[in-house]
Amino acid sequence: MIEQFTQWLSQTSLNAMLSDTTHLSTWLIIPLSQSIHILSVAVVMISVGVLNLNLLGIAGRRQGFAQLAKHLIPWIWGALIVLFLTGAVQTIAEPTRELLNLTFRVKMVMLLVTAAITLIYQISIKKDPRYWELSPQRRQTGRLLATISLVLWVGIAAAGRLIAYIDIKA
Amino acid sequence: MSILDPVVNVLQWMNDTSMAEAIRDSIWIFPAIESIHVIAIAFVVGSIMRLDLRLAGFVWRDRPVTEISAQMLPWTWASFVVATVFGLLLFASKPFVYLQILFFDVKMLLIVLAGLNMLVFQHVISKGVAKWDRSPMPPMAVRLAGSLSLAFWVSVLVCGRLIGFV
Repeated sequence: MIEQFTQWLSQTSLNAMLSDTTHLSTWLIIPLSQSIHILSVAVVMISVGVLNLNLLGIAGRRQGFAQLAKHLIPWIWGALIVLFLTGAVQTIAEPTRELLNLTFRVKMVMLLVTAAITLIYQISIKKDPRYWELSPQRRQTGRLLATISLVLWVGIAAAGRLIAYIDIKA
Repeated sequence: MSILDPVVNVLQWMNDTSMAEAIRDSIWIFPAIESIHVIAIAFVVGSIMRLDLRLAGFVWRDRPVTEISAQMLPWTWASFVVATVFGLLLFASKPFVYLQILFFDVKMLLIVLAGLNMLVFQHVISKGVAKWDRSPMPPMAVRLAGSLSLAFWVSVLVCGRLIGFV
């Protein structure tokens, strides 16, 4: 199915427009889109960095997890929307390079897991601002989620860069 | 003989170290270092951006400037050190090639400008911080310093990406 979608995408007029290297727009839109993409990565990384390290008991302890989450999670979702849109531009320009690349697919799976963890954070503190402090088990689960989230986000950013180098066809 | 000779010698020495050679010759060392460099830059720009946006009066107007800077600057400095060390390794692999790429030179210039802006902010502008720490919209000079810093760092990131297109 992904193969057919990739093939269809590479025959669209949008693909033709974005991958035409003789055209000025390609030399403008793609670097611009990539720059906005990395800028959004910057917004996400510092947000998940502070949030997860707080849950691990390392950063921003004066404010508490719930307050930090209220400040930071909207920025994570906002940046993720921009990341999706700019990522879509790059995927339309080079469907095969992204969609059929194993590195890209691993990145997407890691992204889904981290998004789910962010959603869990959001729902849990809506239930109870002190949700992750209420019992030793919850504290432990929180630390586990934070560790997974941090490792995966670093993995996502690294995979993003490595798509250009590791092209194993899935 | 030229006054640039010592610089050329240092670059040549960098280029000839076995570490630079290893980075050039391996297919995976360069991408690995580059990934770490990019992640570190993301933390540099992401963290300083938060402070800059507050200084410029765009966001978190209800939070004291000193609180945000105390929270963010440790991230900025730590990740800047990582970005610089790994950036230097990338540079050492092909110093003469990078120097000839316009975006690389502009990027270095922008980092210097961002540093100067920060020095002026630290030693002159932030002296009166007690007066505007909690003010939703800091004085003009503070907003200007924040906006300039934001512009410099975003441009550093964009130039960094553009180096790869040359």
